[in-house]
Order: sequence, then structure tokens, then C-alpha cells
Amino acid sequence: MAAAKPDPNFQPEIVVLYCRQALDAEERPPEGARQALGLGVRLVLLPCSSKVEAYQMLKIVEQGADGVLLLACPEKACRFLTGSLKAERRVQRARQLLGLVNMGPERVALRRVSGLSLKDILALAGQMASEVKALGPNPMKGDNLQ
Amino acid sequence: MIVAEWKPIPELLASLKGHKNILLVGCATCVAECAAGGEREVLTLAPVLKMGLKEQGQDVNIITKTLERQCEPEFVEELAEIAPQVDAIMSLSCGIGMQLVAERFIDLPLYPGVNTTSLAIREQPGLWTARCAACGDCMLGETFGLCPVARCAKSLMNGPCGGTRKDGKCEVDPDTECIWRLIVERAEARGRLEDLAKVRPAKDWSNSGHGGPKRMLREDLRS
Ligand code: SF4
Ligand code: SF4
Repeated sequence: MAAAKPDPNFQPEIVVLYCRQALDAEERPPEGARQALGLGVRLVLLPCSSKVEAYQMLKIVEQGADGVLLLACPEKACRFLTGSLKAERRVQRARQLLGLVNMGPERVALRRVSGLSLKDILALAGQMASEVKALGPNPMKGDNLQ
Repeated sequence: MIVAEWKPIPELLASLKGHKNILLVGCATCVAECAAGGEREVLTLAPVLKMGLKEQGQDVNIITKTLERQCEPEFVEELAEIAPQVDAIMSLSCGIGMQLVAERFIDLPLYPGVNTTSLAIREQPGLWTARCAACGDCMLGETFGLCPVARCAKSLMNGPCGGTRKDGKCEVDPDTECIWRLIVERAEARGRLEDLAKVRPAKDWSNSGHGGPKRMLREDLRS
């Protein structure tokens, strides 16, 4: 990948796909765009982390997101038994393919979590943002797949 | 099913050099079953190609389409509307479908996105293993339903070769069963071991690739 110029104003855009079951039971499922400290976050609610496929995560990166964070339940706690395992394999595939085209496998990640609040989600997005910051802005920004 | 697998990504990127509008076309039949060229794989490969080409300084538009079957002219015709918008086609079907598309859209370069490798079954989730090599003179009746043409590394007609591993695997690949060991075991289980000692006439290889390109003609079905 072309060396990114360090830009102090670079605010990574992170898409967070999260499993409904990983959310605190009291929490209203947050969705849509949020501005957190130094980053843009887009929240997408999933009934299960296995609802997302590798191609969808790749497409989100191809459309310009700096990072895609998939929040799944701990392996043993998956309500659909093997859902989060499938999600993990798909994340691995997406990462492998991103690596092959020098886009940075780190742009897609999975974290196993439970009892999340909105604050927790934003904090995890913040961690992801600091991890992808070193890659610089996604070179695909502004493009669209037909 | 006919089994294929993606070509290496660098090879795919190199073949698309200089193109701007690309049709990436899949097939929802065999190559979908072996996770190489169905809709999911088309949608996976499209952003990968787009990102890979961008990284090399090439901006492209990729139109994706998955046909029910790429080896039938009726389905290939569905591409007629898209073809004028593109300057290249990459196909994820087996070599049969690819050639039909190339023939229909003769002015467009067609690039194979996959290598067609075998006639195989899905033995386990994520594992496909060869079963037939379309040899044109099926001998499964003499080999207890196990094909030595496709499944013996040396396509021996009178195995095993003597190199079978102690655990029964093929000497060429520790993850593959020695098919001749399995043939012998099946023969023994049926009490028919002596059948394997029979002298068989030489196999007729001329009914397949060895006899030149295959043509099959059925007068009663011709229009
Ligand atoms: S003997 Fe020939 S036709 Fe029969 S399964 Fe083997 S390769 Fe196929
Ligand atoms: S070990 Fe068995 S399968 Fe392998 S080459 Fe020899 S006879 Fe064929």
C-alpha cells in the first residue's frame, strides 16, 4: 500500500456490526451514525454475528470504511451455537483477502464480548480506530462498487 | 460436480491490467457448490479485485452477475445487456461456461478467474476430493465402485503400486487414501478377491481426450 502521509486530522471511520445477544439486556439497541471522540462510528445491529458474510465486510472496506469491527458473543454463549464461530471464520477469510491486496488485514476484526452498553461499543470502536490509524485513511474513500 | 478454484489474486490482477469496466460473471451450479464461482464468491472477489487494482493505481468499475448456468446459451444471453458497458469479462465458471461466454461475446477479452481442476464430491464441509476423470471407458464395475483413474496418483489399472503407506494412505500424499488398498479391501469383503487377478483387456482411452476432442452425437435428438 502507498505509504500514508501522517495526518493529524485523520478521523477514522469505523463500522461496528454487533450481535443483539452481546448487548446488555437493558440497553436499547443503538443504530446509525455517531460521532465519538476523534472518530466516526456507524452502528449496525445484527440478530447474530453470523448474519454477516465475508463479502459484506470486504464491501464495506472497499466502499471506504477505515475499519470494520464485528462484535460477537463468547464462543460458548452463542445463542445459535455455532454462529460466532462462523463469524470468526468469515472474518479470517476477509482478513486473508485484504492481506493479499495489501489493504491491511487489520481493517477487519472480531471481538468476543457480552453485556455491552453503547459506551462500551464506542470504546471498542475507539480501540479499533487507534489500531487502523497507522494504516492511514482507506485509499478507497470516495469510490463505489456498482 | 465440476470443481474449480480461484486463480492466485496476483495473476487475476495482472490479467485485468489496462481494463476499466469489467464484468465479473459467476455460475450458480457446479462452481457454486465448490465455493469458487457462485454469487457469494463473485461478490467476494469483486471488492478484492477493485481494491487490488486501485492499489496498483488502476481505477475500475466492476459489474457483477451470476448466471444460473454458464454452460447454457439461454442463460449466457442474460449478459447481452451488460456486455456493451464493459471492456473485459472475467468468468468464475468452469472452462465450459467460460468458452460459451467467450464465443457469444467474441469482441471482448475473456479472462479465467478460476482453474477448473476435477470432477469431485464435497467429502466434508470445505473439502472436495476427485472421483472421476471422464476417461470414457468406465471400469467401476471391475473395481468395486472405486475409480483408480481419478483416485490413484498414478492412475494404475493394476494396483496397488507397492508404495502404500502403513496407515493405508497413498505414497504420494499422506492425506489421500490409497484407492487400490480400498479396492482390495472391498473385494475381500465381498469374497471376490480373485476377480482382481483376472486379466482384463486393455482399457480403451480413445473415447475421451486421447481420441481427439470428444463429439457425442444422438441422431434421434437432433433438430
Ligand atoms: S473409470 Fe473413468 S468414467 Fe469411471 S469413474 Fe473413473 S474416470 Fe470416471
Ligand atoms: S499408493 Fe495407492 S493410490 Fe498411491 S500411487 Fe500407489 S496404488 Fe496409487
